[in-house]
Amino acid sequence: MTRRPWRRTFVAVAASAALVLTGCTGTEGAQKSSAGSGMIDFLNYGDFGGGTTPKANYNPYLDATKLSAADYIYESLMNVETYSCKAIPWLATAYQWSDPKTLVYTIRSGVKWNDGQPFSAKDVEFTFNMLKKFDVLDTQGVWTSLASVKADGDEKVTFTFKQPGASAFTQVSGVKIVPQHIWSKVADPTTFVNATAPVGTGPMKLKSFNPRQLVVERNPDYWQADKIKVNEIRFNKADAGGQVEQLKLSRGEYDTNAMFVQNIKKAYVDRDPEHHHYWYAPGGVISVYMNLTKAPFNDVGFRKALTTAFDDKQVIDKAQLGYVTQASQSGLVVPGQKDWLPQGLADDGRIGYDAAAADKALTDAGYAKDSKGRRLGKDGKPISFSFKVPGSYVDWVAAADILIKNLQALGITVSKDTPTPDANNQDRATGNYDMTFGVFGGGCNMYANFSDPLNSARTAPVGKKAASNEIRWQDPKTDELLHTLQVSPDEKAQKEAVAGLVDIMMNQVPTIPIWYGAKWFQYDTTKAEGWPSAQDPYADGGNGLVVLTHLVPAGS
Amino acid sequence: MLYFLRRTGFFVATLWAAVTLNFLIPRLQPGDPAQALLARLQGNTQAVNPAQLAAIRKMLGTHDGNLLSQYWDYLGAVVHGQFGVSYSYYPYSVTAMIATALPWTLILVGVTQIASFAIGTLLGAWAAYRRNSRVDSVITLGSTFVGTLPFFWIGLLLIFVFAITLNWFPDGGGYGGGSSPSWTWLFFSDAFQHSVLPALALLITGPVGWIIGMRNNMVQTLGEDYARLARAKGLPRRRIALTYGARIAILPNVTGFAIALGGLLGGTVLVETIFNYPGLGRLLLEAVSNKDYPLMQALFLFTTIGVLIANFLADVTYGFLDPRVRRAEAT
Repeated sequence: MTRRPWRRTFVAVAASAALVLTGCTGTEGAQKSSAGSGMIDFLNYGDFGGGTTPKANYNPYLDATKLSAADYIYESLMNVETYSCKAIPWLATAYQWSDPKTLVYTIRSGVKWNDGQPFSAKDVEFTFNMLKKFDVLDTQGVWTSLASVKADGDEKVTFTFKQPGASAFTQVSGVKIVPQHIWSKVADPTTFVNATAPVGTGPMKLKSFNPRQLVVERNPDYWQADKIKVNEIRFNKADAGGQVEQLKLSRGEYDTNAMFVQNIKKAYVDRDPEHHHYWYAPGGVISVYMNLTKAPFNDVGFRKALTTAFDDKQVIDKAQLGYVTQASQSGLVVPGQKDWLPQGLADDGRIGYDAAAADKALTDAGYAKDSKGRRLGKDGKPISFSFKVPGSYVDWVAAADILIKNLQALGITVSKDTPTPDANNQDRATGNYDMTFGVFGGGCNMYANFSDPLNSARTAPVGKKAASNEIRWQDPKTDELLHTLQVSPDEKAQKEAVAGLVDIMMNQVPTIPIWYGAKWFQYDTTKAEGWPSAQDPYADGGNGLVVLTHLVPAGS
Repeated sequence: MLYFLRRTGFFVATLWAAVTLNFLIPRLQPGDPAQALLARLQGNTQAVNPAQLAAIRKMLGTHDGNLLSQYWDYLGAVVHGQFGVSYSYYPYSVTAMIATALPWTLILVGVTQIASFAIGTLLGAWAAYRRNSRVDSVITLGSTFVGTLPFFWIGLLLIFVFAITLNWFPDGGGYGGGSSPSWTWLFFSDAFQHSVLPALALLITGPVGWIIGMRNNMVQTLGEDYARLARAKGLPRRRIALTYGARIAILPNVTGFAIALGGLLGGTVLVETIFNYPGLGRLLLEAVSNKDYPLMQALFLFTTIGVLIANFLADVTYGFLDPRVRRAEAT
């Protein structure tokens, strides 16, 4: 019988395989953090970018493909946190407009690159001029307004603008500064992946990288090292939003993450109510875009009537799972940007749902119903149009369903059209739509927030791709206010201009904001405390550097 | 000889058609790779920064020139094996990305394909040899049942039971976060652990087709006259089964196997996605969803070339094995 030995061999192989398996489980790091040292040994963060097969890339200007470590290695002149838009002095201690075309930064002294070389204004000058030479790296578009950048000794850098350049402040402030002594030797910085020991001024240095895990460690010579209580951050590769990731999150395997979770309270918070928290700060303004070149959307009376027509609460609770907040008609993100709102705006510009008021306003504006209950246009025909929404954005489709129902209740015939996201983007840019969703604003550059959707220079005739004004709003008054906002360095004049733009949003209704996109952010206070929250909104969860300076060991 | 020339001509013509379609199809899709990259970065809840979008577009280099000159450049690049820079992994080249992912797919899927084929053929032969016995019913019914289960369901079930509930194996990936790819025992054992569940999923579903094919072929060959003659001569049953039945019944399976190996890439997308395995299938899925045209083109090209070569080899082998094919084609 020749079978028996074969069987025995198989059993032996299986047994030894099992031995190998059991002997080697737990290679993924099960160390415990040592309390009492005043430091946090390590924190587990979520994904680090770079797709499913990440390759080392710490070039801070390759936005689309760099890995997260770059965000903790490179720093900018000011750190403009994206919740309330405070400019926190960072590599620069101060800035001053010496005239509307000239901005002077005072560079922090005593800062060192993590290879020990001193950091100076020369590096700033070098960085900006490199971006000028290699415009592919200029992802903030600073050189569209800059004329020159010059270091003045080791501590001052002078930025000269082509035109009065106040609006470029946040862009210039946010550019990551790289060391001249390294990058000047790089032949082509556009293809430089900076893979070995990237040199920056930041709180963290690269420790190790493999496609599953990226580790950065504390830089002991950091200029505000006393504020950094985290010895190591481990970023873990994730198949974004997958079921397995949710499970790992709920088991507390991440100290922080930024992912969409279907039922966050049940799936995460309830698993450990004491330590598991989330805070979804408001992001971009998700709005109803109306094609302003078409009737009835070209009539302000019609648009204004619609401001009370939409059931925001139902959109927020049902389509958005209660994760978001109602958007202000002002176009600003409240409460973060509340300081920019003009005085006396009721409820910060949020307009509530009131179907009866919408009905009356429509009738008053000349859109009466006929005997069959159909809302008639100015041409006497029943109003009928389509609502385009990307079919694969499930939450947007759910929101559109509610809005369509609201419109139908007013006697308007609305059909739903669900193209692919690409086709929807294309149609919105070329003006091939009646009504659709669009996202604008939410950033810290007030000029960009209003100019992108409303500037007549950023639009195009229907059929051509608009740069960003996809609703095709054209209004001399708006352009004038935008110009003021762009050029005046004086805060009072800026606020007046924003107030004027808010007034246009409220009374001319170029678009109808519905909700603010959520910035996903979950955090666990088992090991570290000091995360930003609705109670302590010093920044939003996406401002990794600012958050890191606030983290302290739990219980301290 | 004419037969082989014909086959070669056919091969070249199909190859050209495949290469051309591979060029055309991605360009007919709507969409903008730069926008896809930004969407991956920030989702759809934030406004697009036009300056950033413009910089990314410039970085990727938009395709200028008419379609014909692009096509000409593309043909030249294909002939020289230059596939350009990947969009979603800029500035890494397509070749570098494929080289990173290829070993994972080759080892995981290659090994399980061969094992599935061996297991399936053996089980099928056994079932036919003992046809209408209990062994036959178990094998045939069992494999038919397994064949009806969706693959992703089996994969998720394995993850749920062995990774989440029992915690015996990792829930996905090619290796753990603590180890880096290197030629060390530690890494190999780690990579082995990570490959157990996906391999198991493939081994559960893989043999089904081979089992059924082999069993049916062999039942048929065992009923042929020469098998009956062998039985009448009083040859041992096992000899009849192996030398007279299995040897002939395996032929169609061999062809199928060649094609399956050629189409390796296409079949790996699902398993690699479910188990988060760092191979070519997942790379392909990502390339498609990110509109990474250069990467997509190269991967599709490899798949089609793989299938074509396998087909060609199978055709040629058939010609050798079965003279009737040669003669039928020549007339």
